[in-house]
Amino acid sequence: AASPAPRSARAPSLPESTAEAAGAGRAARGVYRGPERRGGGGVAAAWGMMMDGSAAGTSNGGSGADGDAARRNNTRMPKYSKFTQQELPACKPILTPKWVVSVFFLVGVVFVPVGVVSLLAAQDVVEIIDRYDHACVPPNMTDNKLAYIKNDTISKECTRILTVTKEMKQPIYVYYQLDNFYQNHRRYVKSRNDAQLRDYKKSNTTTSCDPERFTADGKPIVPCGLIAWSLFNDTYSFTRGKENLTVNKKDISWKSDREHKFAKNVYPSNFQNGALIGGKKLNSSIPLSEQEDLIVWMRTAALPTFRKLYGRIYVDLKANDTITVRLSNNYNTYSFGGKKKLVLSTATWLGGKNDFLGFAYLIVGGLCIFLAFAFTLLYLIKPRKLGDHNYLSWNRHPAGR
Amino acid sequence: MSLYNVLFTSLPVIAMGVFDQDVSARFCLKYPMLYQEGPQNLLFRWSRLLGWMLHGVGSAVIIFFLTIASLKHQAFRKDGEVIDLSILGATAYTCVVWAVNMQMAITVNYFTLIQHICIWSGIFLWYLFLIIYGAITPSFSTTFFMVFSEALGGAPAYWVVTLLVAVAALIPYFTLAVVKTWFFPDYHNKIQWLQHAAKHADPEEELGVVLRQFSVRSTGVGVSARRDAKLVRTNSKVIHADSSSQSQATVELT
Repeated sequence: AASPAPRSARAPSLPESTAEAAGAGRAARGVYRGPERRGGGGVAAAWGMMMDGSAAGTSNGGSGADGDAARRNNTRMPKYSKFTQQELPACKPILTPKWVVSVFFLVGVVFVPVGVVSLLAAQDVVEIIDRYDHACVPPNMTDNKLAYIKNDTISKECTRILTVTKEMKQPIYVYYQLDNFYQNHRRYVKSRNDAQLRDYKKSNTTTSCDPERFTADGKPIVPCGLIAWSLFNDTYSFTRGKENLTVNKKDISWKSDREHKFAKNVYPSNFQNGALIGGKKLNSSIPLSEQEDLIVWMRTAALPTFRKLYGRIYVDLKANDTITVRLSNNYNTYSFGGKKKLVLSTATWLGGKNDFLGFAYLIVGGLCIFLAFAFTLLYLIKPRKLGDHNYLSWNRHPAGR
Repeated sequence: MSLYNVLFTSLPVIAMGVFDQDVSARFCLKYPMLYQEGPQNLLFRWSRLLGWMLHGVGSAVIIFFLTIASLKHQAFRKDGEVIDLSILGATAYTCVVWAVNMQMAITVNYFTLIQHICIWSGIFLWYLFLIIYGAITPSFSTTFFMVFSEALGGAPAYWVVTLLVAVAALIPYFTLAVVKTWFFPDYHNKIQWLQHAAKHADPEEELGVVLRQFSVRSTGVGVSARRDAKLVRTNSKVIHADSSSQSQATVELT
């Protein structure tokens, strides 16, 4: 190791502290010096500069003191800064047992109560689900449901009886649920024209609405597209004994849709005029922003099993109440094996009935607590000295491969 | 959605690539055995790369199915609204942004201010984007219009699902990382433990000296190893030739 005196005399524009500390440290410990290089960025260059006269290594070796001094003045070494030398202040987190166990434990301790609360909220929800598409087919036509649904002369009125299992506090949400209906099919989702719905000046734009763009005589359809064409058209009315339960159908759609996406001065025209009727017919005198069923339907569902809000009932229902539903079974789900269900449900702060969230939280929380214990045990039972060099992978075979 | 790769998750990755140091420069010079991680091909083996790819696929599967199962067909808000395609998409996207940024936070070894900025601002920017993009007229923002401000922001289910999915996606990696650094550490992991221990006591002295002596042992891989092996072979040939000629000479002499 070179003596400190000449080195510090030669060490140029480097921060005193690092040079001194490194120099002192190296002198004290007789450090194995790595290969010294000239030029290039990084710490090695800085070290090369510090050790210039005392070069015992490779490329510098042999050059005398004078050559070094000349080289130093011509050097293009970049100015030292903590950023360029990657010596920024930093914390170096490491997976110590204390940290690992406490992280797992913390996650577990947070998740388990959240899971319990979510599960309780889901259990609080009272839900009545009634599948009616098979039950409402008249007995003489159960073999040919398709003919039944397409035949306009057969009455589609149907009566269903629902029993309330637990007390349901208002507002009670009425949904229709469709199964096996892929509203998220790519071509279906694209089959609409938002400009037409938003702006009455663009009523004639029907691009991307194929195949529901124009009527047979070339008139543009408003609203165009398959989504509007397939509008759900079953209707429901509820009575409890003698009492009529009114379904409030206002504000069932998102406010942003009503105010910004569906205009107040666009009216349906030439709608469902074709030979193939896909769903509901719309009243041409009501503007689109008030056609809430259409707005709700046009918000395409994410999954093949979905519910859409039909309305709200602002009456409390007690346990064992009998609700009579008079519905009209108009919508054709028989041709693609879909299901139709009527749902009456309450809602909590977490929404409707979904036990999955609560269970998932409990499972993940439980798993984390288990892992916390497992890692604690492993650390206590097998306290391998972390950093023990005997376990280096290639040093287990010291003779090499 | 192509903004995803560019904006929301590229910055932390770039910051990690540029600024991360698994072992500080000072320790690198002290333990030249670290260099062996190159010729031994420890860091870019196919098994490691495939492991990371599998982790990506696994995280995606976890995020996708957990999000869908948590937000099924029932209402997700107190007012009875149900989810639609844009709401589910925005929720899943949020979970992905959180999972990726937290993954960065777990993986990075050297937490500078820049890493902090990249990771936390990545997450913050995502919410900012949701709010701002959602406020632009729907002729531009189409399905994202008001999706956060109106539908998701006030829905506790959204935040609950995000927390669950982001954490669940990270648990496998975290567990594996712990098992690896505790029981099957690479050389640089050991140096990290040393660095950590050095802050508290000074076992670095003796352990470091031993480690250094170890580190100048010969190995079977690399240029110098081949040169040494060749030398050994030539020397042994010379010795054999020498001894055989010597024995011949002695035979002749006698």
